Formats: sequence, C-alpha cells, structure tokens
Amino acid sequence: MIVPQNLAELKSHLAHIEPETFFLAGGTDLNVQIRKGILQPSEIVFINRIPEMREIALQDGFISIGATATFMEMLESPIIGKHLPMLQTALQNFASPLLQSTATIGGNIANGSPTADVIPLLLVCDAKLELLSADGVRTVAGNDFYYGYKKNLLERGEIIYRVLIDQDAQQGRKFFYKKVASRKSLTISKASIAILSKWNSDRIESISIAAGSLNEYARRLPQTESLLTGKRRDEISDAILRETLSNEITPISDLRSDSDYRFEVFFNLLIRHIEDVTNG
Amino acid sequence: MKSPIRVDSHAKLTGITKYIDDYREDGMLEGAIFFSPVHAGKINKIIFPTAFDLTEFTLVFSGDIPGENIVPEPVSDQLFLVEQHIGYKGQPILGVAHPDRETVRSFVEGIKIEVDEFPALTATKAALDDAHNAFGREIVIDHGTHHDIDPMWIHTRSVYYTPHQEQAYLEPQGMIARFDAETRIMNIRGTMQCPYFVKSAVDQIMGSKIEGTIVQVAEGIGGAFGGKEDFPNIIAGVTALLSYRSGKPVKTILDRAVDIQVTTKRHPSRTEIESWLDPNDFTLRKLSVDYRLDAGFYQTLSPVVLARGVLHAGGCYKCDDIYVHGRLIRSNTPPNGAFRGFGAPQSLFAIESHMDDLAKKVGLNPLEFRRRNLFKSGDKMPTTQPVPENHIHDTLERLLDLSDYEAKAKDFAAYNSTHRLKKGIGLSLALHGGGYTGNGEKVLKSEIKVVIEKDATVKIYVINTEMGQGVQTTLAQCVAEELGHPLEKTIYMFPDTSKAPNSGPTVASRTIYIIGNLLRKLAREIRAEIGDTSLEEYIRQHPAEFPMERRAHFTPDESVVFDEETYKGTGYKDYSWAACAIEIAYDPDTWTVEPVKVWAVLDIGKVINHDVAIGQAIGGITQGIFWGLSEYFEKEGMGRMNGFTDYVLPTSLDAPEFVVEFIHTNSTVAKGLGEIPMDFPAAALRNAFLNASGKSINEIPLIPERIFREE
Amino acid sequence: MKIAFKLNEKPVMIDVDPMRRLLDIIREDFNLTGTKEGCGEGECGACTVLLNGKPVTSCLVNAVQLESAEVVTVEGVSETEIGQKLIACYDKTNAVQCGFCFPGFVVSSYYYLIHDGEPDLEKIKRALSGNICRCTGYTKIFEAVMMACELVGGQS
Repeated sequence: MIVPQNLAELKSHLAHIEPETFFLAGGTDLNVQIRKGILQPSEIVFINRIPEMREIALQDGFISIGATATFMEMLESPIIGKHLPMLQTALQNFASPLLQSTATIGGNIANGSPTADVIPLLLVCDAKLELLSADGVRTVAGNDFYYGYKKNLLERGEIIYRVLIDQDAQQGRKFFYKKVASRKSLTISKASIAILSKWNSDRIESISIAAGSLNEYARRLPQTESLLTGKRRDEISDAILRETLSNEITPISDLRSDSDYRFEVFFNLLIRHIEDVTNG
Repeated sequence: MKSPIRVDSHAKLTGITKYIDDYREDGMLEGAIFFSPVHAGKINKIIFPTAFDLTEFTLVFSGDIPGENIVPEPVSDQLFLVEQHIGYKGQPILGVAHPDRETVRSFVEGIKIEVDEFPALTATKAALDDAHNAFGREIVIDHGTHHDIDPMWIHTRSVYYTPHQEQAYLEPQGMIARFDAETRIMNIRGTMQCPYFVKSAVDQIMGSKIEGTIVQVAEGIGGAFGGKEDFPNIIAGVTALLSYRSGKPVKTILDRAVDIQVTTKRHPSRTEIESWLDPNDFTLRKLSVDYRLDAGFYQTLSPVVLARGVLHAGGCYKCDDIYVHGRLIRSNTPPNGAFRGFGAPQSLFAIESHMDDLAKKVGLNPLEFRRRNLFKSGDKMPTTQPVPENHIHDTLERLLDLSDYEAKAKDFAAYNSTHRLKKGIGLSLALHGGGYTGNGEKVLKSEIKVVIEKDATVKIYVINTEMGQGVQTTLAQCVAEELGHPLEKTIYMFPDTSKAPNSGPTVASRTIYIIGNLLRKLAREIRAEIGDTSLEEYIRQHPAEFPMERRAHFTPDESVVFDEETYKGTGYKDYSWAACAIEIAYDPDTWTVEPVKVWAVLDIGKVINHDVAIGQAIGGITQGIFWGLSEYFEKEGMGRMNGFTDYVLPTSLDAPEFVVEFIHTNSTVAKGLGEIPMDFPAAALRNAFLNASGKSINEIPLIPERIFREE
Repeated sequence: MKIAFKLNEKPVMIDVDPMRRLLDIIREDFNLTGTKEGCGEGECGACTVLLNGKPVTSCLVNAVQLESAEVVTVEGVSETEIGQKLIACYDKTNAVQCGFCFPGFVVSSYYYLIHDGEPDLEKIKRALSGNICRCTGYTKIFEAVMMACELVGGQS
C-alpha cells in the first residue's frame, strides 16, 4: 500500500502507477467490491491524508469540492448550504449516515456506477472535474467524463482532484430531484432524475435534465432539453416527449427493476416537475 | 401496570452479551460448508483450488458420516451432505475447517465441481401453477354440509400468490462443536430455537462414535423468526463432524451472502379460492380453497406448515360448506422452512384479500361485508371445532373505534377525487391457533424443571430459547408472580440439554402459552406447598429440603381431540384474534405505495409484560407489512440476491406509525402472541391499495413494477 | 503496517495488514465483541463505531484509515455519562429484543444526542437510518432516543 502524505508525494506516485492499482479514500465501495471478488487490486494508494484534496471552498466564483470530501462534510458545509442548497436537500438520504461519514464525492464519481446518486446532481449544475496527474491538473466537463458503463476519461496515473461548480448554478432556477428506490435510505436507485429549470412565468426558458440508472452511465438529456426549451406545458406533446426521451434513455431490466417501468416513471416525474411549476 | 425492565436489556445494549461468534476456544478451527452451485445434477468430481495447501484443511464428505446421513425432521428426507445427486442449488456438499476464517472461506469459494447437470424446476410460480409438481403430504378438510350450487349464487374464483421471505435475523447462523475425546461427548453451542432438535441431529450424524451430545445456546441469539428452527441441525451436524475429524473445537459462522442463499425461507404459496355468495344477504354459502406451498426439494417440516395453512384457510368467517385442499409442491430449490406464522400468513392473505374482492363485487364496503360473514361463538370452523368465543367481533369493534376507520374511508374517497396522490385504508382480520397443531402438544409432552437454591434463588430450567421475544423476562415473570418472589431472584437459565428437560421447540407461539402457563401451574403448586410464608423464611425453617427441585409435564386436556387423518376436531385449543387497519399513501406517478399508519387490536388473553408484547406486535406487523410491500426473494435467480443490498429490509425511515392495543387482557390464560402479528398486515396493506386505487392485485409484494404491469 | 490510534480513549499500537477491517481489529485484536458483524458490506449497521467522532460501519474501514484516529466502540460509549443516560432510556422503554443490532443503535443514537439532540422524530429516524433492526419495527427505539433527547438534550 502506498500512503502519500501530501500532494507532492501523491503526484510523484502518479508518475508510475501500475495496472490494477486502486485509490482508497472512504472505502465504502472498494471494500465491498474486493470482498465480493469483483476487484483484485495489485496495489492500493491511500489518498485520505492529503488536506488539499478534502477541502470545500469558494474560489473564483466556483464551489470547489475536494475529491475526498465526504458526503457528511458536504451536507454540513455552510458554503454548499448557502450557494447550492439543492445538493444538501438531495443528498440528505444518500446511502445512510454511517456511509455519508466515510463515502467521498470522488469515490462516487470514480466508481461511476450508473446508479450513483451524486452524479445527476453534478451534471445539471454543469460541474467540472479537475483531474490530477504527475503532469499537473486538467479540467474536463462533467458531461464529457463518462462514455460507457463504468468507463471514463481518467487515464492511468490520473485521479479526480476536485469538483468545481458555478456558485450561482442554482440561482433563479427551479430544482427538482427524485430518486425512485425500494426504500428510503440505504438504497440503490431504480431511476433518478435531477432537473434545474428557468422559467418565464409558465414558459420554460431553459432546462437541464439528468437521468441516473437509466443508461450505462448517468447523463444529461440534450435532445429532451432542447425539445422543452421555450415551451409551455400545453405546447408539449406527450407523444413527442416520449419519442425524444426514448432516444436518450435506454433503461435495462435487472434485479432491481424493469425497463418499461423505469422509462415510464422517468417520464411521469419529468411531467410532474413541469406541471408543478406551471400550476404554481 | 408498569412493565418490568427486560432482564437481558442492559447487557445487550452495552455489548456484554455473548453471541455465538463472540465465543472463542483455544486451538479453535473455523468451519465452512461448500454448497452446490448447480440446481440439479450428478457429481463426477470435486476440484479444490490449487493455491492452498490441502493438508492444512480438515475435509468431511458424506462418506465420512459415521451415523446416518439424514437430518431428523417431521419427514426425514433431507441429507446432511450430498452423496452423489444434487437436488438444489445451495445443497450442502462438504464441510471444511482451517485455523483462519478468511482462508477457509476463500478456499470454499474456490472449490469447483464437475457435474452432469440435470434439468431443474426453479421458477416458483410455474412450479406452483402445475399441480403435477405436488409431492408428499396432502391434506383435505371436508366436513361441511354439501350444498348443491344454486345458479343464482354469486360465484367468484381468484388466485392469490405470496413470495419467499427471508427471516433476515441480524445475526447469521453459527455453531461451535467441541468433541471431548475423553468423555466422547460432543459439545455444541450455537444460535438456535430448538436445542433438542440440534441434539438429535448431532446424535444421528455421529452415530455410535460418540457417547452423547450436549447442546447449549449462546447467551444471545440474534433473532430467528423460524429461520433457526431446523437449519441449525445441518450446521451443527457438519461442524460436529469437523470437530470429530480434526480433534479440535470448530466454529462455523455463515457469511451473510451464504446464509441468505442456502437457509430456509417462508414458503411461497398459491391459493385458489372459489366462493359462492347468497345474492340476498351476501353471506358465504360455499367456499373451496386450493392451497399450495412450494416446499423446495425436500419435505422436511413442510407438512406441518401445510397443516397450519389449511387450518387457517377459512379465516374468521362462517361458512357451513367449506372444502380445503392443501398440497406441497416440489421444486429444485432449497427446502423452505419455518417463518413466523408458519403457513397461516399465506392462507390468511388469500382469504382476507378475497373478502375485499367480494365486497367490491357486490357493492358493500369491506367492513359491512365482513360483519355479515364474521363467525360467532358456537359457529363451526372447517374442522367442525366450535368457535370458542366472540372475541373476533370485539377485536374488530375496538379497532373501528381506535382507527376511526369509517370516517377515514369516507374522507379518503373525497380526498382522492381531487388529488393526484391517493390515500387508502384497508382492513384485515386474523386468528391464530396457539401451540402445536392438533395432537402435537400431546405428543411433545413438554417437561419443565424449577430448582430453588438455599439462597432462595429460583432457577427455571426449560429448553426454550431467548431469541429476542423476551422469554428470559416473561417466563421468569410467570414464576415470580405465582411464587410471590422477586423477579431479580427468579432466573431463567440459558438452555442446556444436560440440565434442562425437553420443554419442546421454541416455535408455534407456544413458549408463553404452553411453557409459561405450565411454569405458572408448577409455581402455584410450590406456593401451595410452602404456604403463606416468604420463600426465604420457609428455607430457614426447612433447610434440608433445599436445593428443592420440582418438575412438571404438560398434561393435555383430554376433551381436546383431533383426527390427524380427516382433520376433524380441535385444531387448536385456544386461538388468538386480531384486527388491523392500515393507511397508505399511493403515488400513481411512480406506482409507489407507502404505509403511513397502522392500527392493530389483538386478543392474546392475559398479557405478561405489556412492553414486551407491544414490541412483539409491532415487530411482527412490520415484517408482515414489508412482506406485502417490498420483500421477496427469488430463488430462481439464486446467487444474485445474496445480501442486504439486494434483499431490501425496511429502515427507520420506512417505518409507519403504530397504534396497538390488547383486549380481553383480564383473561386467566396467556395465549399465543409470537406469530399472529405476521398474519394480517399484508392483506390490510393490499386492501388499502385496493381502496386507494380501485385495483385488486392478487400477488405480493406490491412493488411498483407489479402495480405498473397490472395497470 | 504499524498504526497508532486511540481506542476508547486509550492509545494503542497495532502492526497489521493496512487493509485489515476495523471490525476485525476491534473484535479479534482487542476482544471487544460488543461490535457485531451482520452483513459485512455496510448495509446493516451492527458494526457501527465512532471514527473521529463520526459514526461509521467498521466493516468498511481499513486499518490504514486509523492512523492518529480516535475510535469509540459501544464499550466506550457505555462508559460516558451521556451514553449511560441513553442506555437507561433504552432500558426503560424495553426497546431491546434480540439485541444483535443494538450496540450499533446505541452508537448511532449517541452520536445524534451529542451532535444534535433535538427531540424531533424525523431527525431521529434519519440519524438511525443506517442501522437495520429486524425485531422491533423501530417504534420503541424512537421512543428511547426521544426520551434521551428530552433528558440530555442541550447538555452537549
């Protein structure tokens, strides 16, 4: 096990990372996957002792969340509470308090499960990710980060460093989030939806929609967003909306739920948000 | 009256109580069992992982069994270890022991078998639907007046399904075996409900190689709910064999993923009900129930579950022409076993759902329809047993007061016509026979022992285990109250087969009802013997009599007669009764049902410890609600649902609000309590959904995907 | 790997595989068996302890995370004044049944008491939502914690 004590040490280790090396922070996903035999790491780098990677701060108009910040730290952060309260509302039932205290935002993103709760929230905020390597930091759009089931832009020797969110991301916009699951805590979503929308009285001026558990990875729905932009509820055809959605969400049937249900529940919740705002 | 504080409370809260995995012995090995990874086949070869040094391991196969390779059960058809043919995925094949737990577990995970695979029947519903899969025990109850069907009668036929349910005791199964080479005694300690079952299992597998078996329980048993009734026999048997072979103590603790896959579950059921109503007053004229349980690959104790299921199939309703046919279905899945309610929750779910379906069909509200058909004292049950009391009527009426059911039903109808989110309220009723079915208690003839020490400590020796239901406290209360002796000096002794007589298994809502009442009787006799003085004073006057030991046997009421062939007579001497209403919220956008509030009124006769009784009631109702709402276990895809991530248990945030009350508590008899809370919630929930949505769904759980599909 | 940390306020030192589970360290290396293993994957909370003051499932915490940390188990909570008051409330309400999950509930509710302590049912439910109890249906657990909040609320 490699245990860097600061950023510089971490960077020097990143220069020669072997295949099947895994980064350990909170351990809530990694330990389960090792125990179940899904992962067999050749080496583990423990990254929880690097203060810069844990900070939640305001910086140049952005909220910066270090990759090893825990969910509990995000839930208790006054900065997030002030500028991005949606994140705290949506995450208060994340996993359970016992996992919130150790699970990290970077771990949730890097593990990249299509069901990960935090990702749709970051996507509707147009969050950016800073990726750290021996060469320095590069910034990528959250929306570009995944490209397949548990596939992402991280190269070997690269690690998620910080998450950056525009501090005004929520300002003047309606927020909607719903996680559909078989119970209220400690649960993996069957479908989740996050929406940030801007309205001009009853007309949608702009809308960001992200879907979790409905594709191979959590993603935004640009076609659906542009279909809805500029429209009032009575100008939205349910048939055309379904058609467009079906291009962008391709749910599967598995142990937790089935595809038709997942599709319809997502459709209903999207409509619910639009109608709730429309009807005040 | 203020309930005494549970005797076991403080030590459990502070972590002092020792559960089986908290015991250690010098030189102890860690045991594990390799279970079949295939559903059916013939084993050609077992291949061990090469990364391990085989000489470090103790291995035991069926061929190493010195005694008999048959687990003792009501129907003894199950093997301890596979001989050649595999009948189900999860069947025990061999036992392994090694000094290190992780090593023995990864060794077992690495074992492979070469098999000729056979076709297997694993789809639960398909198995239940085809009566050709029936095997073993079949029961018919047919003692009614056979009426000719009048074509004017309202005929209805419905089929109801219930799923597997995992007991999900928080403490996984586990046993320690220590063979003493000098005395040739096999010492067993573990987490279990039935120490004498475990003793006979170990005696059987070890045969003449041992002089005898002593079984003791761990101080703490981390939940059981029926799941530790018979499966511990297998773990104890294999662990004993490992200890005998290795000459060392061996501890086998099942990993959760293993436990959840291989141990017994609640039987899935299919109940087909045909009913005929009188068109004038909507009373039941004829009822026919076809009740089927998926037993899994072996019968084991399923015939007894079947018996309880058929005896409760008519519910609390009067019908003088009732026919009940019960059958077991065989599938290539692990044998199902005991789980709180033991067949009754399945048949009561069907009849209580059917009552609401009939009410809807004839345009009566579910309450009025039930009132017209509810049985009264003197009416005949399907077995011809007269209904002993009018308590179901009282229970229902008290429930209506407590829940304000009628007003709520009206308010919700108005609310639902103007709101997107719907509300609903549903009713259900239950009866539950206490103790073993039919002549069971006569055969068991339970024995108890009380010893009064010189220091006036009263020790209670029974074999019924404290698994959370509170008997360590309540049995002591029974004795302390009758003796007029302080509870602190009246001690329930942890079950030990070398010290306690066989007071029978800890099952069937019988511990307080049979054993508690028997202890009471014995304590009264002791009190009569010592007269009015305090125990301490009596001991001072008669020191030579102490320690004083007294024993008592259960003496059956000779007027209680049951014919095991025809199922005629007294199925159970005493019944507990219950009425329940559940309020739900239903979100049609997500097809999600949420239980909001539960009212339950129970008649269990005398209540020994009110807090303990309330705890049992709420705990059991919660298991019943979530069996109806979200819990299910697919054995068909076994290997997928292998932990608490996928088998989803309710959390604190899912718990509804409860109002629970007991009536007729001034009775002299404490009746059964353990199981009845499980009997009614699923139907009340399902009926509440019918009330909220207008839709009858005849299969639980009411997961959103099912509601969506059936819409 | 050599790791120094505080266990129930006592400084301790261990030399273990850095991936060794905190649960095993507590139970096997220090013989504190009040902390239980119910599932081994963070889904039941029977193994809850405080790590640097926060409740965690010790089955998912590795030895490497313990360097300079403070760990408090149910045995440690039982020795504190607030812990004892809390446990007395659990006793009085007769909340306990099989007891296997209760050390975890004691630790989670102790954290809630000292961290918030408001006698608010919804907050209490949320604070306990990582601990599964199969016996009780939770109602009496809520009662006990509510009683404790009223008794010691604000003291911290």
